[in-house]
Amino acid sequence: MWKNFCSLFKKDCQMMLAGKFFLVTFGSLIIYTLFIHFGYINFMHAELYNVYLFDPLGTQQERSEQIYPITSLEEFYAVLSTDANSVGIDISSGIPDIVFYFGSEKVDHHRADYAWYLLHQDNTYPAQIVGTNTPEQKQRKEMSCELLFIEIVAVGFLGVASVLFKEKQMGVIRVHAVLPFKKGVFIISKIMVFLLSDLIFAALITILNIGLEDAVSILPDVLVHTTILSLIMALMGIGCTVLLKDFRQFSLVYLVIAIFAAAPVFLSANTSVKMEWIDYHPFYHIYIGLKHAYFGMPVTNPIYYVGSACGIAILFLIVQTVFRKEMGKEG
Amino acid sequence: MIEVKNLTFSYGKDKQVLHGFNFTVGDGEIFGFLGPNGSGKSTTQKILTGILKGHGGYVSLFGRDISIAHTQDFFEKIGVLFEFPYLYANLSAIDNLKYFSSFYPANQLRDIGEILEKLEFKMDFIKKPVSSYSKGMRQRVSMARVLISSPKLLFLDEPTSGLDPSGAVLFRKIIEEERKKGTTVFLTTHNMLDADLLCDRVAFLSKGTIAALDTPKRLKEQNSNHRIRIDYLYQGRREEKTLEILELERGIPFQHDEIISIHSEEPTLEDMFIQYTGRGLS
Repeated sequence: MWKNFCSLFKKDCQMMLAGKFFLVTFGSLIIYTLFIHFGYINFMHAELYNVYLFDPLGTQQERSEQIYPITSLEEFYAVLSTDANSVGIDISSGIPDIVFYFGSEKVDHHRADYAWYLLHQDNTYPAQIVGTNTPEQKQRKEMSCELLFIEIVAVGFLGVASVLFKEKQMGVIRVHAVLPFKKGVFIISKIMVFLLSDLIFAALITILNIGLEDAVSILPDVLVHTTILSLIMALMGIGCTVLLKDFRQFSLVYLVIAIFAAAPVFLSANTSVKMEWIDYHPFYHIYIGLKHAYFGMPVTNPIYYVGSACGIAILFLIVQTVFRKEMGKEG
Repeated sequence: MIEVKNLTFSYGKDKQVLHGFNFTVGDGEIFGFLGPNGSGKSTTQKILTGILKGHGGYVSLFGRDISIAHTQDFFEKIGVLFEFPYLYANLSAIDNLKYFSSFYPANQLRDIGEILEKLEFKMDFIKKPVSSYSKGMRQRVSMARVLISSPKLLFLDEPTSGLDPSGAVLFRKIIEEERKKGTTVFLTTHNMLDADLLCDRVAFLSKGTIAALDTPKRLKEQNSNHRIRIDYLYQGRREEKTLEILELERGIPFQHDEIISIHSEEPTLEDMFIQYTGRGLS
């Protein structure tokens, strides 16, 4: 079996190289890296929120020096409308109220927590230190994670199709039906090639964008989540390619996957858009797992790993079934 | 080698394509399976090669029930030539053959160069990608793929398709040589000439049934009108006469100066096919 796997794996690598899709992947890596180095970290540099305090009764004496006191309510509202990203604390009634000019649920919690922390310097509202990343390093990690996810879900998925449709059109899949080897090895070899390619990509994008020193500590966990995502996408790609007639049909499915699978994950994880059902979306958990991996917080819940393993096993069985059907089609 | 009893198969609930085939193929026999598109040729071949599951009836290969016959060992003993030359277009002939042969035990492999030479493959193309080959060249590489593992049972689907006449003659010679070595050949074809020249026995298929099964010679003889047609010259004029074969026993029973040609009016295999199935092959 090992000998058969080696033959298949070598041929699949040749097909991938012949398909030239690896050039697209390599190009993506360069573009993503240039974007992070020269674009994202320069243009997306976010300042800390300013916190303004209206406390006419003078109740808060042990506040942080980073809080700006305001003397009148008119001035308080005026400064909040000018510095729209800031946080206001109104204690005119004796009880602190948080005031925003505008905001959204997730970000508001974050801003409010920051304001409470600055207000209570007596350690009654302590800030928990969750990492030692500089703002730039945090941005690099966030963007590397997002681009890695896009690469595997969108670009890599197309790569699977580009390689497999070639084999399908050549008709060689049918020849494998009558060769003396276990047919499951054919699928395993394919997903191993795509997995290897995704792992190399993940390692390179991480090392190039967050630095070797930081990358070494987080890479093992990043690669675990990359493996889970890559296996799922490769199996979905193989299944779709075998089931669908041509690349045109595949591109429709690709759109569906891109729009309905990846977009909600990004929206939920990175914006204030709230979707109640997102907890049932498997990619959301993988994306969050990947993001946590970049920030050195491994997923410890075994359900995540067991669920992923079951999902991959089910997909494998489905792909094996459709693959056998493809072999039985008319020559 | 192959034993088939009451073989049935349906695609889905309502589309029955095989309605109870019965036939046997002996060791070292070339057995022709002839029928138009949709008659069940490919389906039968797929069942025999283990590609299609879910048939009815009893089928055995190499003396084993088909339900347990499709093991790795079984696939090592068979060779399947598809109607189209399925090869990796980006790889060369030699790389294709090295790849496909890597799945077989080394001790049953034949030499790649020797086989390609036997198939009269143009050796200056051996390292060029298959995408640059003509259909005939691709068919030769496909045949080499099939023969390289020294199979004991060959399934050939339209083996001479895409070949020029000399290529077709070469392929027929190679198939005949394989048979002499003891290889059994299950030949699926539209080509009546291939069937007539190669097959020990042929089965005519029509609408999922076997309409006739016998040697090509016997099928033709049984339906012969036992007449011959003679073209001759007499007193400077060209004449034609049709006689019963028995009339010839006493010599040519008419006056003539020169016999130009004698034609048997025995039916062709295609005539027989049409007679048994009520339709042509194409």
